Amino acid sequence: MPLLEVRNLEVKFPLRQGELVALRDVSFSLDPGERLGIVGESGAGKSVAAFAILNLIGRPGYISGGEVLFEGQNLAKLSPAEMRRIRGNRISMIFQDPMMTLNPVLTIGTQMIECLQAHRRISPAAARKLAIEKLRSVSIPAPEARIDQYPHELSGGMRQRVVIAIALLTDPSVIIADEPTTALDVTIQAEIMELLLALCENNDVSLILITHDLGVVSQVTRRAIVMYAGRIVEEGPTREIIANARHPYTLGLINALPERTTPGQPLNQIPGVMPSLMDIPAGCAFHPRCSHSMEVCRCQVPTYTGGANFRVACHWAAGREQQ
Amino acid sequence: MIAFLIRRLGQALVVMLIISLLSFSIQDNLGDPLRELVGQSVSEAERQALRDTMGLNDPFAVQYWRFLKKALRGDLGDSYFFKKPALEVILEKLPATLELVFGATLIILFLSFPIGVYCAINPRSWFTKVMMGLSIVGISIPVFLTAIMLIYLFSIQLGWLPSFGRGATTMIWGYETGLLTVDGLRHLILPSIALSSIMLPLFIRLIRSEMMEVLEQDYIRFAWAKGLNRHRIWFLHALKNTLLPVITVGGVQIGTMIAYTILTETVFQWPGMGFLFLEAVNRVDTPLIIAYLIVVGLIFVVTNTLVDLIYGAVNPTVKLAGRQA
Amino acid sequence: MSRYWTLFMGSAFLYRFLRDKVVIVSFSMLLLLVVISFSAPLIAPFDPYDPTQIDIMDSDVPPVWQADGDARFILGTDAQGRDMWSTMLYGTRISVTIGLFAVLLQSILGIALGLAAGYFGGRLDSFLMRLADIQLSFSTLMVAIVVLAIFQASFGTELYNDLAIFMLIMVIGIAEWPQYARTVRASVLAEKKKEYVDAVRVIGLSRRRIMFRHILPNTLSPILVISTVQVANAIMSEAALSFLGLGMPVNQPSLGSLINSGFEYILSGSWWITTFPALLLIMLVLVINLLGDWMRDVLNPKLYKD
Repeated sequence: MPLLEVRNLEVKFPLRQGELVALRDVSFSLDPGERLGIVGESGAGKSVAAFAILNLIGRPGYISGGEVLFEGQNLAKLSPAEMRRIRGNRISMIFQDPMMTLNPVLTIGTQMIECLQAHRRISPAAARKLAIEKLRSVSIPAPEARIDQYPHELSGGMRQRVVIAIALLTDPSVIIADEPTTALDVTIQAEIMELLLALCENNDVSLILITHDLGVVSQVTRRAIVMYAGRIVEEGPTREIIANARHPYTLGLINALPERTTPGQPLNQIPGVMPSLMDIPAGCAFHPRCSHSMEVCRCQVPTYTGGANFRVACHWAAGREQQ
Repeated sequence: MIAFLIRRLGQALVVMLIISLLSFSIQDNLGDPLRELVGQSVSEAERQALRDTMGLNDPFAVQYWRFLKKALRGDLGDSYFFKKPALEVILEKLPATLELVFGATLIILFLSFPIGVYCAINPRSWFTKVMMGLSIVGISIPVFLTAIMLIYLFSIQLGWLPSFGRGATTMIWGYETGLLTVDGLRHLILPSIALSSIMLPLFIRLIRSEMMEVLEQDYIRFAWAKGLNRHRIWFLHALKNTLLPVITVGGVQIGTMIAYTILTETVFQWPGMGFLFLEAVNRVDTPLIIAYLIVVGLIFVVTNTLVDLIYGAVNPTVKLAGRQA
Repeated sequence: MSRYWTLFMGSAFLYRFLRDKVVIVSFSMLLLLVVISFSAPLIAPFDPYDPTQIDIMDSDVPPVWQADGDARFILGTDAQGRDMWSTMLYGTRISVTIGLFAVLLQSILGIALGLAAGYFGGRLDSFLMRLADIQLSFSTLMVAIVVLAIFQASFGTELYNDLAIFMLIMVIGIAEWPQYARTVRASVLAEKKKEYVDAVRVIGLSRRRIMFRHILPNTLSPILVISTVQVANAIMSEAALSFLGLGMPVNQPSLGSLINSGFEYILSGSWWITTFPALLLIMLVLVINLLGDWMRDVLNPKLYKD
């Protein structure tokens, strides 16, 4: 029984130039304790999907179709008061840049205690103790002092630890992490990722990890989704996708990894750029950049084909399967 | 904190010195103190002798130093018109201006924040649209015109409120206030509204646009993602950040407001410093002009330092207290 | 030049302009006001500067639609017998002239100082910015009042009347440079950080060329927005100064001095001497502000506004 199930999610942005469809027919599910990766370039719609789960899409965007099922409720249709009980409580979110995520004029303590007090009856003193414990659990030294400091007084890595601590404060079932290490120093990225992983395992928290970094996905997640131009183009066990990708885009991403290049040769690039969401090509959105594109790719949007635990939206891949 | 204060005080001192230097040069070149003391029929030789005795032929630096010493003792010369110490005359009129500014500030504070915040949170409501429209009109009407229109409407046509003067005042410990009598308060209403009229729309628009920008920030989104109560998000998370640029702009506007008191007091014949200054200019009453400049300069410097302190108190990223990381 | 024209005609700027009714009305209104005020010598029925055309017996005549009105003076006459309509036209011309030239002065001064501060940095930068801070906090109006008062008191009304328009432009022009300097400096600092400036320097262009050809065009849109608002502010400042008697003299009236001269009569009945110039002034400033606001929206889409 999946913990979280997204079905045919569609998100639109009515702009002055016209209506932009940011997410189209996005469906995936998350089992308890599972770690799912959502991969893709910037602009693919990964963050939109994450925000859509919590119904936090920035104005003027809105969920125009589909369902987000969690614990028997459709989150897309809940009232703001009901949604408040889920956000930060049953489903927490970690953003990309911890400097921008924490309010610069409030202390760490304030920002942690308010999260606890928003979701359960707890005295300020008890909340403070709990917050200090959580800071300790994310390996922040001298948490009793740190809790009264302001975000700018902490280093980038520590700030992200604080954000992770906040996410875990209320013992959520799901954590959505949107590029949690991208804004950090390379040397710290691994540390933070390991911390996140350990905490999720120890506290039995399901994780949705959104990233463009295939390396991280391969090490952290069990299943992965590849997105392109607002759609899911491939889904399956991470190991399977890395070793044996089916969609040309996924193949391109994997081949573009520096590890896959022979030394002395130029990096393998996918030619072209991802189309802007205002200008999505007809048929398969990837066809202008695809080396395997066929006549049908230009006019027909590929449907999902696949097996028990994977699927792919590609005419060429479907053809290969049949052979 | 100490280091900051010392730095600001040093800066304030420099500014005051410059003002005093400017004031002194003005005094040196403007009007002739001799003319006030003696008539036309005094001979040139006697005039020079008199100038020597009064020290008016000494070098600039010497005269300036003398001026400074006297100023620090509070002696800025005697007003030609009032025949009293200039500083005394100015200080007598200071309470009137202070109360006028006080009234206007109250109006601005109590109206601009609620309206600005509401407009930021509800950008599409009809109230917001009306407010934005009114505010553009508001900043296009100069202070003195608003004053005239208010007088015309409320005093002449409707006869509800008085159109000039300060009304009945009471003396408390040597301080003359108009706030304690109904008559005094009635006289305060129209001038305060007039004085606030051009800054109110400005602040409404400022608060609205700053808050709208703050509401787009990641940390606000994160606050929503934490499931916090929306009032907490708007009035703590967002508002505290909005305050910072508003305080900065507010500090700069203090200078403008003081300039506007001159206009407002002129229209309403409000017996404050600004009205006094204008009369002094017309009469070329140099000591009074100088005294006004110095007093106003002092007010500027003090309020600007206070504003900086307040800003430092609200914004934790400013190293005011020398916190260690 | 024609390249810029083609760019402009096809630009989003023009597109948004033509679709926004408020802006079109404001712009046309402004154009109308400027044109009729500058053609005052051609279309005004009287010349208010010519003493031979003014008859003191004609003073305080009400507008033509009132009982004692005179068909020669559509909007009535002031206390000296000058035709209101003509005087208002000339007055508007003066106000607009002062506004434009003062802003020209401010912008040149401010841009130059802002470029210098931003590009050269260091001690020059700190000094200029401190100066700007202090000047901003003293407010243009205050500085103008003081300077003009001193000037008038020192040199007497005769000389002052001749130089009034020049003095006003100078004072308002010099006092407001900080606004421009700050904005330009911020743009310069932002552009400096961008890599293409380094690239261009590596190629070997001179510093001045870098500043003018690469940095300046990018600072153009904030400058445009500020300038519009500053013209409105300059006109209002001049009106305030004239109202206090420190601006345009009575024999070369601007809208502000007209309002001042009519103020004492507002209680005794000659309401038109204040009212019509006041309405015209408000209209002029409002229209400029509306345009400025719209420009800020179009050129600065930092915010998605509904």
